[in-house]
Amino acid sequence: MSVKSVSVHAKWIVGKVIGTKMQKTAKVRVTRLVLDQYLLKYYNKRKTYFAHDPLEQCTVGDVVLLKALPERRAKHVTHELAEIVYKVGNVIDPLTGKQVAGSLFRETLTDSMENPAGSLTEKLQELNISAATREILQKPSEV
Amino acid sequence: MPMKGRYPIRRTLEYLQKGDIVFKNTVKIMTVNYNTHGELSDGASSFVFFNIPQIQYKNPWVQVMMFKNLTPSPFLKFYLDDGDQVLVDAEGKDHKDISQHVKKILGKSEEVLRAEELARMVHSNPANFGPKKYCLRECMCEVEGQVPCPGLIPLPNEMRGKYKSQMKGTEV
Repeated sequence: MSVKSVSVHAKWIVGKVIGTKMQKTAKVRVTRLVLDQYLLKYYNKRKTYFAHDPLEQCTVGDVVLLKALPERRAKHVTHELAEIVYKVGNVIDPLTGKQVAGSLFRETLTDSMENPAGSLTEKLQELNISAATREILQKPSEV
Repeated sequence: MPMKGRYPIRRTLEYLQKGDIVFKNTVKIMTVNYNTHGELSDGASSFVFFNIPQIQYKNPWVQVMMFKNLTPSPFLKFYLDDGDQVLVDAEGKDHKDISQHVKKILGKSEEVLRAEELARMVHSNPANFGPKKYCLRECMCEVEGQVPCPGLIPLPNEMRGKYKSQMKGTEV
């Protein structure tokens, strides 16, 4: 009776999301290093866990931190989503806090886009001013 | 015939048992982010190559995960039981520096290890006989110099109760 309430041996787990087709649940693959007894080398052993994700914020390929639930929520769901560690396509470097892609830093586009927009409005203003000055020059010439 | 692989010494029990780092009980997950190319990641990649098997051997209940080429800078991240996270920068460091630093912040100290070993020795008394899981020997017949197991070699007649009772019956 009391054994089931503890739910699982592992309290905290890090894994990769492989499926989000279930409502409010993410299928997460967790790899642990297991020693091969003869070769004495460590290999990854996979295990899938189901995690409760109430806001459906996971996509396939995210690296995710799961926390064990105090009580088993459903027949297979034993953990809940604690934190998305690395979002796929939008990895943020924990040391600098900037967006990163592989071994390069991704500069966000907003910085480079602001200046052209600003210069465009300035150019429009210049055009207006130049048109106004031309009119003023022409009027006295006409008259 | 020599062993196969680049540094096959990593695949020996002696090397694995020589591992220094035993994590404190609160450490649950260890994550290493490193790059396969690039000089700054050299320390981190050699840490993964040489020291990770030792760490995993000494800490079988800690989940160790490796991520390659995700971020430009290499680092280690530890997830503790309370929800705390520890970030260790590994850029430009040597693998020995990294392992010493990790041992300093999250490893059990020498005194604690010695105390645990003493507790283990006290708990298991080698003089006891019992199942192989808990004791060294199951029966006195396993010890050299003692009477061998009568299942393999029959006992001499003087030691057999059946023969002695037969003799008693015939005499008297």
